[in-house]
Amino acid sequence: MASIVHDRDNTLERPGQRAPLVTGGHDLHGVTEVVCRVAESRTAPAAWYLTMGVSAALLAALGAMIGYLFFEGVGVWGLNNPVGWGFDITNFVFWVGIGHAGTLISAILYLFRQKWRTGINRFAEAMTIFAVMCAGLFPGIHIGRVWLAFYLFPLPNQMAMWPNFRSPLLWDVFAVGTYFTVSLLFWYMGLIPDLATLRDRAKSKLSAFLYGLFSMGWTGSARHWHRYERAYLILAALSTPLVLSVHSVVSFDFATSVLPGWHTTIFPPYFVAGAIFSGFAMVVMLAIPCRALFGLKDLITLRHLDNMNKVILATGLMVGYAYTTEFFVAWYSGSAWELFAFKARAMGPWWWSYWIMFSCNVFVPQIFWFRWARTNIPVMLVVSMLVNVGMWFERFVIIVTSLSTDFLPSAWDTYWPTWVEAWTMAGSFGLFFFMFGLFCKFLPMVAISEVKAVLPHDAHAPAAGGHGH
Amino acid sequence: MASHGHTIDIFSEPRRFDRAGPGALIAALIGVAALAAGFVMKPGGADLRQFMNSYLLAYLFVLSISLGCLFFVLIQHVVAAGWSVVVRRLAEQIAGAMPLLALLVIPIVVFRTELYPWLNPTDEMKHLVEHKRPYLNDTFFIIRIAAYFAVWTLLSRGFLSASLRQDASGDAAITTRLRTLAAPSLILYGVTVSFAAVDFMKALSPMWFSTIFGVYWFAGCVLSGVGFLALVAMWVQGRGQLTRAITKEHYHDLGKLMFAFVVFWTYIAFSQYMLIWYANIPEETRWYLVRQSGDWWKVSLVLLLGHFCIPFVLFISRHPKRSKATLFVFAVWVLLMHWLDLFYLTRPPEAPEPLLAGSAGGIPLHLLDALCIIGVGGLFWAWVASALARHSLVPERDPWLKESLAFENY
Repeated sequence: MASIVHDRDNTLERPGQRAPLVTGGHDLHGVTEVVCRVAESRTAPAAWYLTMGVSAALLAALGAMIGYLFFEGVGVWGLNNPVGWGFDITNFVFWVGIGHAGTLISAILYLFRQKWRTGINRFAEAMTIFAVMCAGLFPGIHIGRVWLAFYLFPLPNQMAMWPNFRSPLLWDVFAVGTYFTVSLLFWYMGLIPDLATLRDRAKSKLSAFLYGLFSMGWTGSARHWHRYERAYLILAALSTPLVLSVHSVVSFDFATSVLPGWHTTIFPPYFVAGAIFSGFAMVVMLAIPCRALFGLKDLITLRHLDNMNKVILATGLMVGYAYTTEFFVAWYSGSAWELFAFKARAMGPWWWSYWIMFSCNVFVPQIFWFRWARTNIPVMLVVSMLVNVGMWFERFVIIVTSLSTDFLPSAWDTYWPTWVEAWTMAGSFGLFFFMFGLFCKFLPMVAISEVKAVLPHDAHAPAAGGHGH
Repeated sequence: MASHGHTIDIFSEPRRFDRAGPGALIAALIGVAALAAGFVMKPGGADLRQFMNSYLLAYLFVLSISLGCLFFVLIQHVVAAGWSVVVRRLAEQIAGAMPLLALLVIPIVVFRTELYPWLNPTDEMKHLVEHKRPYLNDTFFIIRIAAYFAVWTLLSRGFLSASLRQDASGDAAITTRLRTLAAPSLILYGVTVSFAAVDFMKALSPMWFSTIFGVYWFAGCVLSGVGFLALVAMWVQGRGQLTRAITKEHYHDLGKLMFAFVVFWTYIAFSQYMLIWYANIPEETRWYLVRQSGDWWKVSLVLLLGHFCIPFVLFISRHPKRSKATLFVFAVWVLLMHWLDLFYLTRPPEAPEPLLAGSAGGIPLHLLDALCIIGVGGLFWAWVASALARHSLVPERDPWLKESLAFENY
């Protein structure tokens, strides 16, 4: 099958008739071909090599920055008293948030019977895992005395210094740890049948061995499928509360405090909506180049992108609701501190970051009310990037503005990141894209068996030139 | 997977009551009688304030059901859902009672000084109420209430009448248009429901504030709306209508939604409670202090157990959601718990001091609470039952109907 260059518009749905989720008239074998071809090809598009080169360099920079940080101490960052959290925790929350789209697509859209999820769930889940890896990095390196990093975990030690179980920072360790574990299991389990397909098609001994090792003896027997479906449902059910709990716990890091701008009861659902918002923007941002470079436009169709853009619009509105409610209640509460904190955000020294956040997250996605924008690749690429910028700034605004001006004016201070922090942040993107690039090249980017289940019915009959199963 | 093999033909299905039974009229008469008796006789030495407290509770209970069904209708349209079409007309009719609810809100507006302390602030709250005056003032309050009901009536009647028009014309373009309209309608819905929560309930404690409060009420609305919808579906089937169209598959999905919103409510309630407990700031803890003092801690505990623990354990499994008998219990139970939740939100005294001093007595359940729920509920049921009797019970020419009829959980 020739590689797919054109987008076929399958976004319009006539009432009473579901639009196709796979275009291009592929049969079952055709789907396998399209996905496996990427991993089996001995070369990759030039853009892939370029991406890997740049991200490897950034990854190296990350290693250097961390080494420098460990050698010199956190003084190389711009943190001060009172701004004890800066880029480090901003990046942590940003990356944790990115991961949420993967879990939502795998778990919640599964329970809602949204079949279009099959085209995007695999690489969204991969994205989740790499994003959580990036996220997990930051709390680990920000603690100052890295040789005591194990204090993060509730390990007993000879000094009888148990972690404080009432601290949301400890809950974070549990929440993110559980999240990573379940996401990894979910992702890997979904991969098994597709890894077996790659194993069966492998031409070289090495790839046959490696794909064979990780497909754990999958034969595709009815019993295997039965167990697989059961396990999938259970993991989906386990992941569903995780979509809500992880970012809720992250929001507790802030909201349990008494700091104006941090302590507000809407934080948990607001953080969750924001996480899904930024996560979907990242999925769109990754899907656009992947489907173009690797010839997946028939499997990740305009309809998938259209749907994701609608989710971005909806969650963007929820985030806007939270911003507005916070402002309203800051005034309604009659608390001078609350009102001051919010005025300082919008009109204080950090006003520009507040308005970057507000514009990118609330105003920009409004363009998705129009169908032409939701199906226009350059538009959605720009919007998804801006949403990610906006969501990064949201965390920055929350963390830095509230810390820098607390209750005592004499304690106020400003914050500016150093080059070390900037490169560490860039390096985390290097880590993310490096891992994602490896995934794209060597693993099936689309869940082959799941997409086959949503093919139009007549495609099950072998078409001319196809081999059926 | 939905299989298209054994789809029934909707036009061979009983889907319309031959005549409006006497039930609606009886319900209306009982409703009026109960409200009149309560208002005039004020049993148990009650005063107007007690009557209005009970009336507000009963009213908000019915309003949440109607608003919950409105949300159900809007969200089904916006996602172009197929499974729910066979029960959507019932939800449209329950939401369609909004004109009646707009009428029934009048006593709350007229006797607002009996209910809302910010209209007559104590010395303690004077300073704060003065600050909130741009929002909490008489004129703006009335304007807001009018605006909410304008929006809700417009949305609920608009979606209902478009759906009825489709019964006649079979025009698929109506479905497309409603889907387009549903998205901005949900924005209007979200904003009005949130602020209505502030005006009807949060303003009962004018010194207190919480950003999540609107979401809290929204969770209760959807929960009670879906619960009531399931009961109405059973009632309709019990009277020989839609007996083959609504299957246990649809009940199963309604049960799943109820379960999901039991958990969602808990998530929101927990978020609000935990954050306020943890930060321990007096201006916020005041509201919970009231609800944990005197005998009110018992109500809080019953809510924790009854609104979350018990239904979570009993209804997490697939089977109780697929059996009509157990789903009936589930629906009645969540409605009871939602009523208790509203009681817990609206009834406790504003200030904790009398409770802490032990001088406030027990939980102020009153005979009027029963009379008012019979009254408002009776009128509401009269409206819904007679509306159901006037039209087809199913959007019979909805393009997605065939998907709904063939729907199976897998």
